Amino acid sequence: MSFDRFAFTRRQGLKAVLASAAGGALGAFGRLDAAQAQTRAETLRHVLAGTVNTLDPTTPGATRESFGLSTAVYDRLASYGRKQVNGSWVFDFDNIRGELAEKIDRSADGRTFTFHLRKGATWHDGAPVTAEDVKWSLDRAVSAKSLAAGQIATGSLTKPEQFKVVGEGVVEVSLERPDRLALANLAVPLSPMFNSTLARRNATADDPWAQNWLKENTAGGGAYMVEQYKSGQQTILKRNEAWKNGAGGALPYFKRVIAQTVPEAATRANLLERGDADIAIDLQSSDISALEARGKIKLVATPQINGFTAIVFNTRMAPFDNPKVRAAVAAALPYEAMFEAALFRRGRPLFGATWTDAPNGAFPQPLPFRTDAAKAKALLAEAGFPDGFKTTFSFSAGVAAVAEPMATLIREALGAIGVDVSIQKLPPAQMASMEVERRVPFFISAGTAWLPAPDYFLRNYFTGDHRWNFSGFSNPKLDALAQAARFEADAAAYEATCRQMVDIVARDVPMIMVWQPNQDAVMAPVIDGYTYWFHGQVDYRDLRRA
Amino acid sequence: MSTLLNIGRRVGRHLLASLPALFGVVLFTFLLMRVLPGDPAAFFASGPNAGQAEMAQIRETMGLDRPIPEQFLRYVGDLARGNLGQSMTTGQPVMADLAERMPASLELTLFALVLALALALPLGIVAALRPNSLIDHGVRFLCTLGVCVPTFVTGLLLIYVFYYLLGLAPDPTGRIDIFAAPPPGITGFLLVDFLLVGDLAGWKAAFGQLILPACTMALFVLAPLARMTRASLLAVLGSDFIRTARSVGMSDWRVVVVYALRNALLPVLTIIGIVFSTMLGANVLVEKVFSWPGIGSYALDALLASDYAPVQGFVLLIAVIFVMVNLTIDVLYGIVDPRISLK
Repeated sequence: MSFDRFAFTRRQGLKAVLASAAGGALGAFGRLDAAQAQTRAETLRHVLAGTVNTLDPTTPGATRESFGLSTAVYDRLASYGRKQVNGSWVFDFDNIRGELAEKIDRSADGRTFTFHLRKGATWHDGAPVTAEDVKWSLDRAVSAKSLAAGQIATGSLTKPEQFKVVGEGVVEVSLERPDRLALANLAVPLSPMFNSTLARRNATADDPWAQNWLKENTAGGGAYMVEQYKSGQQTILKRNEAWKNGAGGALPYFKRVIAQTVPEAATRANLLERGDADIAIDLQSSDISALEARGKIKLVATPQINGFTAIVFNTRMAPFDNPKVRAAVAAALPYEAMFEAALFRRGRPLFGATWTDAPNGAFPQPLPFRTDAAKAKALLAEAGFPDGFKTTFSFSAGVAAVAEPMATLIREALGAIGVDVSIQKLPPAQMASMEVERRVPFFISAGTAWLPAPDYFLRNYFTGDHRWNFSGFSNPKLDALAQAARFEADAAAYEATCRQMVDIVARDVPMIMVWQPNQDAVMAPVIDGYTYWFHGQVDYRDLRRA
Repeated sequence: MSTLLNIGRRVGRHLLASLPALFGVVLFTFLLMRVLPGDPAAFFASGPNAGQAEMAQIRETMGLDRPIPEQFLRYVGDLARGNLGQSMTTGQPVMADLAERMPASLELTLFALVLALALALPLGIVAALRPNSLIDHGVRFLCTLGVCVPTFVTGLLLIYVFYYLLGLAPDPTGRIDIFAAPPPGITGFLLVDFLLVGDLAGWKAAFGQLILPACTMALFVLAPLARMTRASLLAVLGSDFIRTARSVGMSDWRVVVVYALRNALLPVLTIIGIVFSTMLGANVLVEKVFSWPGIGSYALDALLASDYAPVQGFVLLIAVIFVMVNLTIDVLYGIVDPRISLK
């Protein structure tokens, strides 16, 4: 390995010599001497479209990029494992290991978790990690006005009384009922562990949880420390040489990480092809095939197993409050054509199944939605609209690349059964507020569930009044099943409950999950170890230069 | 001495007259942002369980839960104390954001303007001296091309050729090579700061980053500058005093540069003022394409997210700059044409 690295350095050095020999007015700007080449090899340059707007992932309004960055800077008590699927790494939801905790004990009744913290673990400032720090961090997650409280409540973690220090380096978390997702919630970016001494020193009377200070500063113990943070432009991380909480206790490969915002997708692609950037996960899907064909980059395409794109009906607005109308539209949609034109087949389809009763409780799974214009016409007549109706199909300008071809095809296909669709493209903020106020009848939306358990998916996207229930769906039976599944300890009973829920969703069609798009991670050919994570961001700790 | 006094009086009058306009801008942007559809709370409430509580919390943070007149009074009160509010998109005070990004935009715009003038003035003069000749048509063609091709197309094209294909230009991301150390922030203008600390290699690198975006912008504003120079010079060349000058046997060079050009510059100055203000506000696309950390891309991001404070701050800043530029142009008028300051 050390030999490889030397070879790399020498090559880079040679290039630099050549560049300076070439001279020239502009050529001289590519300054890269041997020492810099060495640093370059040990540095990862990630170019991203979005921005990191806070260093504390629990800040209300935090961007997805902030979540991604925080996984490298903060440790959590636990972490998911990873597994290889079709040659690429994917997170493994069923395999949770300790991160800051060395050992996690679960009581027989599933109501108590005991976390034994790793011996000798330290914060970035060198102070030892104590059980009191963990208690403070968990208290903060449920008490402070932040994103964390809403998230970890989905694991029945709601009160400080649930967290107890029971010995040196031992913390106990107790639950009223054995929630299936309690432990999983302690492995997400919204439950980071803070150095409580440092954070408390910067808390004020108005801000007892140091939320203001932590937006710009960090109090963590993760694999990387923040060296420079320029909100909206770039963040530079350097490796925490004392970090021992990774899988097998290994340090991450890269000594430095630069996460730089480059808004233009074409520029990000150029940077990667020229070898000036190492990784990007948000290129345009229309560019991916061409990039792959030219062969200068490596593409790791992973279907987002915990995400989906959906065509949504507002079930609280006529005529889509009628399940027959929804079923009619579902039978009229041109699935294959949309998959081809909008996604270039880069993903996993969720349509076209042939069953009538759900074969298993997995979700999302392909549902029996197939194009059948005759059936659509019949259903529409049955619903009382033999001559069709007029409606509007809306989408956010932010997803226009995918949504525009979909909208055109939908308009054409629905026109054939007499439904007159006008297309409405809205600015992202306007689309968000119209969705929340449930003023759009028929639209495109997308979602990702951090915890890809079928019951979590169904509960979040098909029940309740919050915004993720895009269709405003309300079905008492589904509501009851979704609540029951949460505390179901028996695997077979859980599977049966989930199957019933899948059946309801397939029959009532509140929204049509059409596919799970690929996450196309494009990287330099020498970058290895990229893993698709549930938060959809790059975890720098996985990557290495081969 | 009296000229100076004259200028001072004009400056004062001008500033006073611009106050109502500025207030109007403040009120108008404030109302416009609130009338526009799009609820910032819905946009930023991205948490996994984004319920009403979280949105209410964001509204409270942004002060949107209060009645609009009260919001406005608070806003004006904050303005009086030099506080432009807090950006949700970057999480920073808007004042700090703008102060950090302003030099980037200014440096790019000024450099592009100088580049554009260096090209446009000679082209305009040549075109005016030989109207309807091949040169004139050539200039017209170049100008039309510059205006017709949108800036982001020019930008992407330049990147493709000079960075991707030829590898001559450095990677088009920002003001400085990401692996290089920035100079200490003295003026915020990298070219000036590198010179002040005597780092010539750094200066060259910053210059290299600047050249492509500046060319992109310069091409776009070439047309108004060159066309105005040509038109105004043509008019002057046809006037009596030029005929007189020629008839007394003055050299062509003297006639054109000393007599004609000086008189033709007045409308060109006006155009420069307008072009400069427009460039500063409208170079959003160039900033996006080149990842330039300027105020244009900052305001656009904020606008798309319905983030009120940065947009209001941006519009106010541009309005202030517009006033200042007009003032400068006004003072320059007096120097170019002393008759104006006598009034």
